[in-house]
Amino acid sequence: MYCPKVVVDTYNERLDITSATHIDYAQAIPASYYIDAKECLRLNYETCNLCAQTCTAKAIDFSQKPKKLKLDVGAVVLTPGFGKVDDSVLEKFGYGKYPDVVTSYEFERLTCASGPTEGHVVRLSDHREPKKIAFLQCVGSRDETCGNGYCSTVCCMYALKEASVAKEHDPDLDVTIFFMDVRTQGKGFDEARKRAVEKYGINVVRARVPRVDEIDGRLGLTWVTDDGKSHSGIFDMVVLSVGLDAPEDAQKIADIAKIELNNYEFCQTTPGQPLATSRDGIYVAGAFQGPKDIPESVTQASGVAAMASELLAEGRNTRTVTLTYPDEDTALEAEEPRIGVFVCHCGVNIAGTVDVKAVRDYAGTLPNVVLYEDTLYSCSQDALKTIAGKIKENRLNRVVIAACSPRTHEPLFQETLRSVGLNPALIEMANIRDQCAWVHAQEPEAATEKSKDLVRMAAAKARLLEPLEQPTVDVTPSALVIGGGASGMGAALSIAEQGYKCVLVEKSDKLGGNLARLTWTMDGQDAAKVLKDLTSRVKKNKNIEVLLETEVEAISGYVGNFSTTVSREGKTEIINHGVVVLATGGKEYKPNTYLYGENNRVLTQLELEQKLKRGKSFLKGANNIVMIQCVGSRGDDMSHCSKLCCTQAVKNALKLKEAKPDATVYILYRDIRTFGFYEDLYREARKQGVQFIRYTLDRKPEVLKAGRGIKVRVYDSLIGEDIDIPANLLVLSTGIAPGENEALAKIIKAPLTSDGFFLEAHAKLRPVEVAVDGVYLCGLAHGPKSLEECMAQAKAAAAKAVIPLAKGRVAVAPIVSRVNQDTCIGCGICESLCPFKAIEIVKVGKKRKAQTITASCKGCGICASHCPTLAISMGGFTDDAIMAQIHAFAGDNCGEEA
Amino acid sequence: MSVKIKGFCCNYTASVGVEALKEAGLVPEDFDMVRLPCTGRLEVQDLLEAFEKGADAVFVAGCMIDTCHNMSGSKRAAKRVGYAKKIIQELGMDQGLVEMFFVGRGETGPVVEAVREMVSRAEAADS
Repeated sequence: MYCPKVVVDTYNERLDITSATHIDYAQAIPASYYIDAKECLRLNYETCNLCAQTCTAKAIDFSQKPKKLKLDVGAVVLTPGFGKVDDSVLEKFGYGKYPDVVTSYEFERLTCASGPTEGHVVRLSDHREPKKIAFLQCVGSRDETCGNGYCSTVCCMYALKEASVAKEHDPDLDVTIFFMDVRTQGKGFDEARKRAVEKYGINVVRARVPRVDEIDGRLGLTWVTDDGKSHSGIFDMVVLSVGLDAPEDAQKIADIAKIELNNYEFCQTTPGQPLATSRDGIYVAGAFQGPKDIPESVTQASGVAAMASELLAEGRNTRTVTLTYPDEDTALEAEEPRIGVFVCHCGVNIAGTVDVKAVRDYAGTLPNVVLYEDTLYSCSQDALKTIAGKIKENRLNRVVIAACSPRTHEPLFQETLRSVGLNPALIEMANIRDQCAWVHAQEPEAATEKSKDLVRMAAAKARLLEPLEQPTVDVTPSALVIGGGASGMGAALSIAEQGYKCVLVEKSDKLGGNLARLTWTMDGQDAAKVLKDLTSRVKKNKNIEVLLETEVEAISGYVGNFSTTVSREGKTEIINHGVVVLATGGKEYKPNTYLYGENNRVLTQLELEQKLKRGKSFLKGANNIVMIQCVGSRGDDMSHCSKLCCTQAVKNALKLKEAKPDATVYILYRDIRTFGFYEDLYREARKQGVQFIRYTLDRKPEVLKAGRGIKVRVYDSLIGEDIDIPANLLVLSTGIAPGENEALAKIIKAPLTSDGFFLEAHAKLRPVEVAVDGVYLCGLAHGPKSLEECMAQAKAAAAKAVIPLAKGRVAVAPIVSRVNQDTCIGCGICESLCPFKAIEIVKVGKKRKAQTITASCKGCGICASHCPTLAISMGGFTDDAIMAQIHAFAGDNCGEEA
Repeated sequence: MSVKIKGFCCNYTASVGVEALKEAGLVPEDFDMVRLPCTGRLEVQDLLEAFEKGADAVFVAGCMIDTCHNMSGSKRAAKRVGYAKKIIQELGMDQGLVEMFFVGRGETGPVVEAVREMVSRAEAADS
C-alpha cells in the first residue's frame, strides 16, 4: 500500500498496474507479499525504504542476499510448464497493431472477476463493451511457418470456455469461433462443447482466417468455407487462441539436466514411459512433456511422485521428524468453560475499519470469558507463542479467535491448542475480517457492532464445544489392483517398487488386456515389446501376487481396512488390503453397421493392425482402402469421443502406405483429432497422399454392396457431390466402449459417468481418486485414452494409493457423524443417503441400529439432517451448539436458552 | 436525400465484402462496389457508365502504385480516372466526383474512408 513504485502487472497480462511490492494473484502460494527486485527503489537506487519502515510486523529485511544452495537429492522432477508463442507470430493477425486484437491470455484476465476490469469484457481501444467477438483458433499451433507443427491440445476447449464465460456475462454478445477441427477429445469435453454451443448459441465456423483488417476502429475478417464460398464479417474484438510453446529456456534446462528434447523443444519421452526423461532419476510432468490441460498435468504430477517414490523407496521415513504433543488435560477440559477471546487487528486489515479494542472489551462482558485480549497479527509465529502461553497461564479450556477465515487459519490455531494439551476441537473462530472489516469497509461503526455479534455467537458456541476424539486406524499395508491390463500392471509395479505388497486380479487367463491386442504404439513402436517388458517385470516382482481367472465378488471395509471376496476356479477367497486401484479397462466397440460382421473386407482398426503384423499378402489387389472415423463414438451408440481413433487411423494409414505405396487410402472423418505431437503423423499422412474427406452427421457415409465387393458413398463438401469409392478394404475406427463397470461400481459405491466410465472425485484436483476413500482409478476404466496416458495415470493412481500405506495409520477427521443408538430407530435413511458408504445398519442385540464408519465419514452432515429422530449429531456442530449460536445472535442472554 | 456511390476495386484490395460492411453500418446502403481482377482492366467508359446509371460519385480503389499485383494495373487505372475527370469537367460536373485511391494489400479501412470521402463530395456537389 505504501510502495510508491508503480510497475506493470504481468500477472494480468500487462493490462493493469501494481506496485513493486505485491502479491501476484489472490490464490498465490505463499499468500504473502514480495518485492520485485528489478523494480524496487531501495534495491536499485538505495532510496525509499518506505515499506521496511511502515511494516509493523518488521517483516522486511533488505540485508538479505541471494544464496547459492547445494542440495543432495535422489531424484529430480522437471515441471517448468509451457512458454508463450512469440508475438511476431501474432502480428499477422494485427496483434500489437490493433488494440482490439487480444490474446486468449489477455481475454482470460478480462473475463476474470478479480482481473483488471473486474470481469467486464471491454475493448482495449475505447473501453466499450464489444457486441461481436471472433476467436481465431490455431494461432501458433498446427502451423509450420512458425515452427510449431504440433497441436496445442487445449485451445479449442479454453476458447469454448472463454466464449461461454463472456456469453454468461453478456447474453447478447455475438461470439464466433473459427477453427480447423474442434479438438475437444478429453473426458467429458465433447459433451461440454455441445452444451456450450447449444446453451450459449456460440457460432462455430470451420475456416481459417488469414488476416485481420481494421476498418474504422472495428475489425474485418474474411474467410472461405468448405463449399468454396467466400465470406466476410465485421467484429468488435478478435481473440487469438494462442497455443502452448515449449518453455523459453527449454534448451538451457536440457543442458543443465542433460536430458533430450524433441524437435519442438519439449521434453523427449516414450509412450511406455511418458514421465521418464532420457536420463535416469530425472522425471518430467505437465506441459513440458507435451501440451496438455489441467487434469492430465495433475495426473502426471502424481505420476512423477510415484516414480521418485519408487527410486527412493529405501529411504522412506529416514529423514522424517515426528511432532509430539503433550497429553490432553482432560480434567481442565471438563471444568466449567474458561473462555479466552483473542481479537486480531490483522494489521490494518481489521483494525482499519473495526474498533478492535471495543470488540475486545465487549468480549469481556460475555459469560465464562476469563481472558480477552487484542493481538496485532494472531497468526504470526510469536503471537501464536504468546497465545499458547496465555492459555496455560490462565488455564483456559475454550478459545475464541476473532480474526479471519477458519478455512485458512483454523488448523494453525488448532495446532496451538494441541501444543498446550488442549483438544483442537475446543476453538471457535469469528471471521470479523471478511465478514465485517472487508464487506462493511464504508460503515466502521456497523462493522464494529457486527463484530461484537459474531464474537458473542462464537463465545456462545464455544461454551458448548466438546473435545473430539482424534481416532486413527491401522492400515493393512497392501493394495488390491483390479485389472491386469497395461494400467493395472503399471499401477501394481509402481506400488510394488515403492515397497508395498500388491495383489493383481485379472479375470481373463492372461495379463495384457487391450495392450495385448495392440500392434503398434502411437509412435509406431512394437506394442508387444512394451507388453513383454511389463509382464516380465510383474512376474519377477516379489511384492506382486497375480491372480488370473479371478473375479471380484464383494468389497467391504473402508480405507486402510478393505476385505475383498474373490472367486477363482469356483472357490472364493478373501483378500485383506488397505487400498484398491480400479484398472478394469475398457473394450473395443463392436459395431453392427457398415456391413461389419457380414463382409470379411470390413475390419476394425485393431483387426487391421493384427493382419498387417502377420504380413502384407492380404493387401494384394487392395488398391482402395477406406477408413471411417467415429463409428460408435460421438453420437451413434456412445456420446463420448474415444480420443485415440484419429491418431490410430492416421498411424495405420501410414503403415498401409508403407506396405503398399500405390494404394489409395481414404479417411472419412468428422474432426481429425490428432492432438499434441500426433499432429506430425497427420501432416505426414497428408504428405504421403492419404485422402481425408470430411463428413457431417446429417450426411454420414453409406456402405453399399457392389457385386462381390463394397463401395462407400460419401458426400464431399469440397466438390459438393456424392462420390463413390470402390473399397477393397473398409476399416472402421470403432472407438472405446466402457467395460462391464456397473457391478463393480455397485460393490464399491463408486459413481459412473453417463457414458459408463468410472467418475473421478474431481476432474482437475483429484483426477485418479474415486469419491470413496482408499479407491483409486486409472486406465480405460476412467475413460478412453492412449497407452501413454494410461501409463502416466497408472503411476498417479499408485502414488495416491501408497499414501495411506506409507502412513501406516489413517487419521480420521474429528468432524464426523455420531449416532446416538438409544434414539436410533434403525430406519436406514442415513445409510441409503450417505454418498461415502460411511454409515451402515448393524444389529445391536435384536434391533437394527445405524453406525458411523468414522474412517470413511467426510462430515458432510447429510445423515444428521435427515435423521427423523435427531439421533445423529456432527462433531463440532452439535444441534445444541448451533442453537446456542442462533440464540446468541438474537441477543438471547448470550446463549442461555430463554 | 441519400447519394449513390459506386466503387471499383481490385481483387487485392478491400478484402471484407460490401454486404458485411453494410451490415455493420460502415458504408451507406446505397453504396455499390464492383470487384475486378485488376483495376487496370477498367476503361474510361466504365466510369462514365456508372454516372449514367445514376451514381452521384464514382471511385476506384487499386493497389499501391509500387505494390500492384500486376505491376502497372493501378497506374493505368489512375490514368483513366484522370481522363474521366477531364470528360466530366467538360460536361460541367465537379471533377472531384470521380477519384482514384491507392490502398494497401487486403485493407478495407481505406476503402471505407474513400466511400465517406465520396459521399461528402457528392453531397457538396448536390447542394
